[in-house]
Amino acid sequence: MKTLRLLTIGGVIAYRALFNWTRPSVFIGTLFVGPLFQLLFFAYLGRQLQVADDRFYIVGNAVLTATLACVFGGTLAVGNERRYGTLGHVLLSPRSRTVVFLGRALPYAGNGILIAVVTLTAGALLLGLRIPPAALPGLLLAMAVGSLSCAFFGLTLGALGLRFRDVWVISNVAVALLLLLTGVNVPAAALPGWMAAAGRWLPITHAAEAARRLAAGDGLTAALPELGREALVGLGYAVLAALLLKIFETESRRTASLETI
Amino acid sequence: MLAVGTLLHVKQMSRSPFEITIALVVPIVQATLAVYLFRSAAGSHRLLDAAVGAGLMGVWSSVLFGSGGAIQNQRWQGTLEMIMIAPRRPVLVLLPVTLATGLTGTYALLATLAWGRLLYGIRLDFVHPFAFVIAAVVCVIALGMFGLLLASTFVLMRNANALANTLEYPIWLVSGMLVPITVLPVWTGPIAAVLPTTWGARALHEATSGGPVWPSVGICLGISLLCLVFGGFSLTYVERRARAAATLALA
Repeated sequence: MKTLRLLTIGGVIAYRALFNWTRPSVFIGTLFVGPLFQLLFFAYLGRQLQVADDRFYIVGNAVLTATLACVFGGTLAVGNERRYGTLGHVLLSPRSRTVVFLGRALPYAGNGILIAVVTLTAGALLLGLRIPPAALPGLLLAMAVGSLSCAFFGLTLGALGLRFRDVWVISNVAVALLLLLTGVNVPAAALPGWMAAAGRWLPITHAAEAARRLAAGDGLTAALPELGREALVGLGYAVLAALLLKIFETESRRTASLETI
Repeated sequence: MLAVGTLLHVKQMSRSPFEITIALVVPIVQATLAVYLFRSAAGSHRLLDAAVGAGLMGVWSSVLFGSGGAIQNQRWQGTLEMIMIAPRRPVLVLLPVTLATGLTGTYALLATLAWGRLLYGIRLDFVHPFAFVIAAVVCVIALGMFGLLLASTFVLMRNANALANTLEYPIWLVSGMLVPITVLPVWTGPIAAVLPTTWGARALHEATSGGPVWPSVGICLGISLLCLVFGGFSLTYVERRARAAATLALA
């Protein structure tokens, strides 16, 4: 029970702390307006090139928009502790740091779902995409699994922040690569084999595919295998993040490099 | 002063591992995405256009984040006040910063073309090669001047990078860098028409695949000069406002 409390309440408190410095206009501009234009950009590009239909781009990009909150959030969940000089305090805590940091990823996953829902709604309304009402619960599930998986991916990158100084480089490059490799904008069949294979080990790839099937009216049963794969990818990153956090924490203590910026 | 200032800021940016890595990797990823998208559309004859468009997107990103980031960096380093109290017009102090971001952004254009040539065998058969070079130079200068207009807003805002995050895709979209503006809703036309990025992109695309390059270059230059004038006035205004409100140094 105490662990669950640490996982959820600890994460929420850390997330709320962000709003000491950010403002609603910044939140809306960065997390809603930017991603919506990303969706419109690729939807219009797709229309012009006729690579795939509107559903492919709108649904895929809506799921992908969660990466913004999840990858950067997960990364900065660790990186900001170092930047603001509080990493030492967190690591001195007598509670499990793995649970502390995994809890940090949860609000970002929730944020990712919110962005994906808003982007999908706005994108569908602006571009005239009809989604069967029966598909909505399944779509929400796909976005939730994708966002959670992506948040753990972000936390894995954040763990690298205990080892490397500049987590911004890592997160920016990761977001750019997700745009290319997840098959959200270029169909996986059009990518070289190794790129498509790499994409299958990344978050969002399977969630986007599942969401497309649901939006096409295929039903939850058809989407379940992809959702299962996405959940496995997410679980893999959660374990990897926990391992890396443990290893890098030990290493940082040994080399006294915790607060090195 | 402009030349020395631009060189100084180019040097400063070239010392940042973040700037270098982002400038090296992101344009290449965007170019790869554009190439595979255009290839899968069976539009291989337009691959050069795609590479040019992706490169231009990189130049815009560099200017957008560079202009905002440069000022924010000055804030974090505590040197923004020093810059603003320099016995020169603010426009002369900040224009080199935005020009430098445009100049470093040309790497994106060159890198995407080189990447396309070496990896995907895209033939660099520009219809007007000389005009392409001129258009590229004008485009970089124009974006630098447009960046100045943005920078004047960034000085006033504490969270300027958030505005930059919002503006990347809209300008890519409306300017027709990769998506032709003819497929966009009609109401975007007037917005596109007043952006120097639209005319710069148009000039580069026309030099690549044929068309009247020089009118686009001329309009791009004209709008960018207007941006410089407005940017100068705006910068003076917001500088005074930021001094009065004591928000200049707030990071």
